[in-house]
Amino acid sequence: MLAYVIRRLLLLIPMAVGMIVVTFGLLLLVPGDPAAVLLGPEASPEMIANLRRTLGLDDPWYIRLGAYFWQLLHGDLGRSIFQSAPVSEIIGGRIGATIELAVVALLLATLIGVTLGVLAAVRQGSLIDTATMLLAQLGVSMPVYWLGLLLMLAFAVQLNWLPAIGRGAPMPEAIIAALSGRPQVLWDSILHILLPALALAANSAAIISRLVRTSMLEVLREDFVRTAYAKGLRRPRVVVRHALRNALLPVLSVIGLRFGALLGGAVLVEMIFAWPGLGQLTFSAVSQRDLPLIQGIVLTFALIFALVNLVVDLLYALVDPRVRLG
Amino acid sequence: MNKLLLLTTAIVALGAMPATVTLAQDKAIVIGTDVDAGTLDPRLTRDTTAYRTADLIYAGLVHLTAKLEAVPDLAENWESPDPQTVIFKLRSGLTFSDGSPLTADDVVFTYESVINPDFNAPDRALYSPISKIEAVDPQTVKFTLSAPYAPLLSYLDKGIVSKAAVEAGKDPATDPVGAGPMVLTAWNRGSDIVLKANPSYWGGAPEVTDVTVKIIGDNSARAQAFEAGDLDVIQSPLSPNDIERLKADTRFGNVITAGLGVTYINYNVKDPLLADPGMRQAFSMLIDQNSIVNDIYQGVDEIASSIILPSSWAYSADIKQPTFSVEGAVAKFNELGWKDTDADGILDKDGKKLTVTLSTHSEDPNRVQSVELTQALMQSAGVDAQVQITDWPSFSTNYVQKGLHQIALLGWLNIVDPDRLLFGQLSTGGSTNWGGYSNPEVDKLLQEGRSSLDQAARATAYQKAATILASDLPYFIISDQGYQLFYKQPFPVEVQATPRGNFRGLIGMDE
Repeated sequence: MLAYVIRRLLLLIPMAVGMIVVTFGLLLLVPGDPAAVLLGPEASPEMIANLRRTLGLDDPWYIRLGAYFWQLLHGDLGRSIFQSAPVSEIIGGRIGATIELAVVALLLATLIGVTLGVLAAVRQGSLIDTATMLLAQLGVSMPVYWLGLLLMLAFAVQLNWLPAIGRGAPMPEAIIAALSGRPQVLWDSILHILLPALALAANSAAIISRLVRTSMLEVLREDFVRTAYAKGLRRPRVVVRHALRNALLPVLSVIGLRFGALLGGAVLVEMIFAWPGLGQLTFSAVSQRDLPLIQGIVLTFALIFALVNLVVDLLYALVDPRVRLG
Repeated sequence: MNKLLLLTTAIVALGAMPATVTLAQDKAIVIGTDVDAGTLDPRLTRDTTAYRTADLIYAGLVHLTAKLEAVPDLAENWESPDPQTVIFKLRSGLTFSDGSPLTADDVVFTYESVINPDFNAPDRALYSPISKIEAVDPQTVKFTLSAPYAPLLSYLDKGIVSKAAVEAGKDPATDPVGAGPMVLTAWNRGSDIVLKANPSYWGGAPEVTDVTVKIIGDNSARAQAFEAGDLDVIQSPLSPNDIERLKADTRFGNVITAGLGVTYINYNVKDPLLADPGMRQAFSMLIDQNSIVNDIYQGVDEIASSIILPSSWAYSADIKQPTFSVEGAVAKFNELGWKDTDADGILDKDGKKLTVTLSTHSEDPNRVQSVELTQALMQSAGVDAQVQITDWPSFSTNYVQKGLHQIALLGWLNIVDPDRLLFGQLSTGGSTNWGGYSNPEVDKLLQEGRSSLDQAARATAYQKAATILASDLPYFIISDQGYQLFYKQPFPVEVQATPRGNFRGLIGMDE
């Protein structure tokens, strides 16, 4: 197991190198000069040329790429062109918010998706099944951006139950505060994260619910389920302890992959709910052509995604004894 | 009896509590904005949030009122012994927020860095006529100009940075030390900027004690957050649909007035097809200003008639650009030799079809829609019009600013003086003359406009230039942008909006 983990971790290096080269190549192809964006429309061509020289943008691509790798080897992600601060510092200050949002959204998606999927499977062909799958269809097809605005309109503007924007205290801090007798801090954090997490979770919940339904229907037809009933076990026990446990295996790998989709979706959700994470930062970095910052963000997202999938693979082996890692 | 006493005490306590809480809360406001500040160094500000926040943290020699008049801020008064010299006398006892004294050296330091090419100040071109800045004594600063420069005062509201703080290694971009009415307490990048009142401001601390500038990129989400009570103030840019809804909501106060921006068509006059002013006139007649302003922008902007803003002292209603007329455009094209000789619905001349590319950027859906409408109208007039939409950096830096466009739709903001929309943009070789327009007579008038110190003479020069431009049409001004501000009611102080969207009018400072 340990050898497997080490091998997978080592594989992250070529993946990161590939990722950097691809991102760098794409940024070379995308039109738009960061020096001109930085200086604004009133800048003269001389000023732009001057800044391009200062930023090293006139150097050949292989020199710039080489310099970037050299910096990385020294643990330096470079400096943001626009925010005049180290990229690692900027990303470090925001990554927590995005991971928190993605994790809560993933938990919500799993909870909603599995519950609806199981309900639909055990009541196959009933009104519940149809309604659940209709809901899943909506969840899959509704753009996260639109859903976010609708949720805000309903729960913040009309009902005034939840805050429309912003983030409470970070969850770890909020939990510590709650444990030390200030539960309102945690409550405030939960209220703030509910709407963005729900908007982000909808699509994944829909996909998970469909998958759970299909998987459950297959498992419910297996011989061991019939045997369980024959032993006189009650339905809830059979469904939860026997069928669901087996049905969840294929779902587990999908949940890992959904984490990547959640990180991508966070870009739009964070924009709408003013969630101070990497998503908003990604949007502004791309629209400003802040090359070092874009590189840093892509690298961070890629590493998170790879690590989450590693964890999922390890969990898979734990849950299903038939799976051997190596 | 006990119960009664308890009840009375509780009622009194409850009655007293909210009053105290309200008093404390009422002095804090939360302002919604669309972008995060790129920097808090007033010499390097590029975006509106940076500009507006820096205006609270720092103070300039002058301050521009809502009517764009320069009034004393750090400078107590100023005089011009000759047209190329301006001497400013600073108020006595000025200090920065860290307690250090603010002197003429700080003013010299600030403006010397702005005009230094290596410093890369985005608006350096505005200060290029300044040839020398000297500290005559700790309270006196002398500006020497290479030529008389009338708009100078409008640009001297730039915040003064502390020379000592910068030399001690403090970066004004992230760790600002200013002498404005507020000081920075926290800046959570991409989320919010938190400020508190500066008691050492020369005019005294403002009435509003705490300001939070909250960043919400999406216009509709920002409007909804305002309606939900999470924000106390929002302002342009806002979606036309949201403006209509908020206007009708009695919970909110509003200020809806003319802004300081224009939306316009930039013709590339270096393009052989567009070199002839007649062609530009014909194309301009295919721009349906009424539909763009009233349907697409739902009336939040005003139909423009010339390059001078209606709110400007130089405006004249007699100057008129061509107006929308498909028939007129077709007649003009025919007059210039473009006719549909092969009956394919597209005009042609010497075997060449009348093809043109319209472009704008993707971030503003209203601009995209305006371009699409114009494309349809051009096609109905026999022009094979193509549309090119790309994101802002590609569109601006790699396309329009390189003069690769034919007909581009874009805008200018912050036109505090007619010079700001004319000199760099339309004088020969101007730094932002992307369409390559050149007319010696216009050059002469624009130079006259910026160098004359008599406002009436300046107005005449600009009106003459605008008259030529309304027929030469290197620019076709579609609309004068409106400015909208909405605030919760009751608001802790009297709202004094300025079309520049500055925050000083929201914190109880008398404009």
